[in-house]
Amino acid sequence: MNEMIIAADGLSKSYDGKPALRSLHLEVPRDSICGFLGRNGAGKTTTLKLLLGMLRRDAGSIQMFGEPVDSEASSIAARQRVGFVSEDKDLYTFMNVDQTIRFTRAFFPAWRRDLEEKYLDLFQLPRKKAVPKLSKGMRTQLMLLLAMARGAELLIMDEPTSGLDPAMTEDVLQILADLAASDGTTIFFSSHQLAEVEQICDRVCIIDQGQAVIAGELDDLKADYRRVLLVFEGTPPHELASLPGIDHLSQRGRTASLLTHGDVGALVDRARELGPSSVEVRSVTLKELFLDHVRGE
Amino acid sequence: MLWYKAWLETRWRFVFMVGSILLIWLTPLWLPSFGFRLPQGVPASKIWMGVHLGSVLLYIIAANFLAGSGVNSQTTYAAASGFHGSMFFTLSLPVSRRRLLLVRAGLGALLTSALVAVLAGYTLLQRPGGASSFEVVEYVARSIVCTMAVYALSVLMACVLDEMWQFYATSFFWMAFYLAQSRLAVIAWISPLRGMSLFSYPANAPMPWAPIVASLAFAGICLCASVLVLQRKEY
Repeated sequence: MNEMIIAADGLSKSYDGKPALRSLHLEVPRDSICGFLGRNGAGKTTTLKLLLGMLRRDAGSIQMFGEPVDSEASSIAARQRVGFVSEDKDLYTFMNVDQTIRFTRAFFPAWRRDLEEKYLDLFQLPRKKAVPKLSKGMRTQLMLLLAMARGAELLIMDEPTSGLDPAMTEDVLQILADLAASDGTTIFFSSHQLAEVEQICDRVCIIDQGQAVIAGELDDLKADYRRVLLVFEGTPPHELASLPGIDHLSQRGRTASLLTHGDVGALVDRARELGPSSVEVRSVTLKELFLDHVRGE
Repeated sequence: MLWYKAWLETRWRFVFMVGSILLIWLTPLWLPSFGFRLPQGVPASKIWMGVHLGSVLLYIIAANFLAGSGVNSQTTYAAASGFHGSMFFTLSLPVSRRRLLLVRAGLGALLTSALVAVLAGYTLLQRPGGASSFEVVEYVARSIVCTMAVYALSVLMACVLDEMWQFYATSFFWMAFYLAQSRLAVIAWISPLRGMSLFSYPANAPMPWAPIVASLAFAGICLCASVLVLQRKEY
């Protein structure tokens, strides 16, 4: 079994009595690219902030790099090995690119000058340009440089491609995939963009109302889940809802759509007993998994 | 490098304060060119009294202005989102919040002390009859110590309020304190504001230990409270 870079269990957090996270269980194995998906307000950013020690948890435990993160000292030790890209990509407005790099470098003894130069060249970031004059894309690139050159074992990113144009988004995704492949950096990022998650992630965790509703290897999930479409002569029978093994059921007109995982054959056999005029079993996309679990559509 | 960041963050405030002080000092030179003349017969001691009161006011403004401490100083209250993201960058670094605060507050305290030292020294040297070196050193030292009480309260306020409200809240507190000291002898006895004053405690009088000790204690309490607030704060 892979070593877990992040292992959170029973993680709970409330704001003014309103729960943001409810006993969240989260695992991110080493060397993986894990997409963290959820609707707005699902608890994604809260989770990332808890991992980085910006918030205090109400309950539960966090382990990073195999060590419990339960004090400021342990959080600092974990942060020594983490690169973070915030959603807004805001850096110090009173520094230029070079000052920002020199400032960040001072906190990381394992700073890699070769990577610093490589990404400065690759991104064509002018050293003397003031941070406020950088575009959002350039700030994203600078944050990625700061995260990568520190030799971080784990990159935590909060919607790293938000606000970027499609070309820049593609570049960033490519860099992340290369980074994971070449340096073995584990990447954990939240996103609303299902397509980009599907493009580069090998693992996903979908969160809804503060709880993980689905998590695992993306290929395994796609192989495991199936959509069964049943068309009836009239209105689909109510008995459908009581079929075993259904994760989600929706009906539209004469058609019933079942999302299931595990033994699809057994479910189809039971469904045929209800007399559908046609039965179709399809593979599912990440988008379908996401929507069925968070929207209950 | 936190010192470097703190300096970059604070330098324009410092330059602004130096500029303001220079403008005030140079005012007597350019006012006559606009036809402004002091009324005849105003005693030099009275003019100096104004200079001194102005200086004390500048100590307080400088302390308040340079104390935008803590990671909150990286916030700009954007329309809806609240906190500015550079704070998240800072908090993601492998540094304790206590160190973040102490470095930022330490640099602000150094800059405030430098300004107060220059102001206090200048003020005393302008006194009719002049002042000995010992008097200058003594007055500069106690002005700095007493100003640290003002500064530390501003640091604390900066940990709980945004920068604009920090300035107002601290100014309001010291105005209320000034009124209270004129009514309650015990407050007057330990007042940092009186400790800064050459009227309450002339430079050639015995050292005003009560305001000095009270200022140090108050500054220490405010600083400890700031650390506690910052450590408990959620972002």
